[in-house]
Amino acid sequence: MDWGYINARMRGMKSHLLDKRALDNLVVQPDLASLMAELEKTPYKNDIIEAKVQYSGVLCIEYALRKNFSRTFRKILKFVREDEAERFITIFLHRWDVQNIKTILRGKNIHITNEEILDCLVPAGELDEATLIELVRQPDIRAVIDMLATWQIVYSKPLTEEYPAFAKSGDLALLECALDEFYYAEALEQVKTPSYNNGLIRNILSLEIDVVNLRTILRMIRDRVDPKEAEKFLITGGREFDRRKLDHLLALHSIEEVVEELKTTPFRFLADIPAPALRTQKISVIEKQLEKFLVQKGVGAFLGDPLSVASVIGYFWAKYNEITNIRIISRCKTADFSLDQLKEELVYV
Amino acid sequence: MVSWEVPIGAAIAFAGGAIATGWAQSRIGAAGAGAIAERPETAGSIIILEAIPETLVILGFVVASMIILMVK
Repeated sequence: MDWGYINARMRGMKSHLLDKRALDNLVVQPDLASLMAELEKTPYKNDIIEAKVQYSGVLCIEYALRKNFSRTFRKILKFVREDEAERFITIFLHRWDVQNIKTILRGKNIHITNEEILDCLVPAGELDEATLIELVRQPDIRAVIDMLATWQIVYSKPLTEEYPAFAKSGDLALLECALDEFYYAEALEQVKTPSYNNGLIRNILSLEIDVVNLRTILRMIRDRVDPKEAEKFLITGGREFDRRKLDHLLALHSIEEVVEELKTTPFRFLADIPAPALRTQKISVIEKQLEKFLVQKGVGAFLGDPLSVASVIGYFWAKYNEITNIRIISRCKTADFSLDQLKEELVYV
Repeated sequence: MVSWEVPIGAAIAFAGGAIATGWAQSRIGAAGAGAIAERPETAGSIIILEAIPETLVILGFVVASMIILMVK
């Protein structure tokens, strides 16, 4: 495996990402039209031009970003094909398969049109556009799961197991949580042997599991869900929190208590959040901080050994963050946010 | 009449430099190819970087020559 080649390409691709100045330039654009014009001066040019044919406004930007994102990761997959690096990269790309299946299930659950569902998909994983289109064509959730099972796509397993519970309660979160749990368990299983590359992936995955669990706990506490009921939605395999610690956090009564409890963990930065935001149970502020923490850790992988999967992990997070930032800018432009508010929403790494 | 140790010594000096150069160039070449694929404007610098390990084989050649010419 030639990590030197992969590392050089990743760093080359990273150099094409928008830096802080370019992002600030997008932020100061007065409206969506000028934002699109500015994006046409960046590597998003072709995607924006292609998107303009079909869409306008914020949908055009969203479409261009999705296209760019899937194209970028398909390109990476192409140059690591039949290489050990492919195994590591597909672990990260499988999350888009999970995300796409979730999106289809959500769409089917609320009975929106197939076109609307397709507009929300990001075919950056192993399930290509044709497969996703066929899944979207299915009439209901049961049919989607059956189709996945017919194609022997692994995600049919957790969905089939959890479907009876979903059919009884109608709670889609059960299927979504089963998918997440399956994804993380599969991913951790693939990197369980001790090696530097496996360790890097394991660290970032277990950190993600911690963040997902913390988000779930905060939402459960805010919505006053019974801890026994809430336990079902937690994922095992986190780095910082084992089952006992998670149960302890779930048993707390307020978000302030959770933040207080986290002071002895790497999540102690949450204590810096202004008290009024915590008192009003406004967890979006905490979620933003957690997201920022995760992105910073992910992009920080660039500092690891260049002859390893580190640069790929770093690039994945840097690209994800860039796309998220541009989406935030475009959404804020339609919602007339002030420049200061907008800048606060962005994550600079 | 030159004894057999001299050409063997010269051969080892040259071969060591050549092998090391080949190995270094293969690594630099791979990384350089990756860099040029993403940033074609770096081709000039990459070619220079690719040539730097040549100094090893030149050194090997010089040492080999010195062995042949100076060892009696």
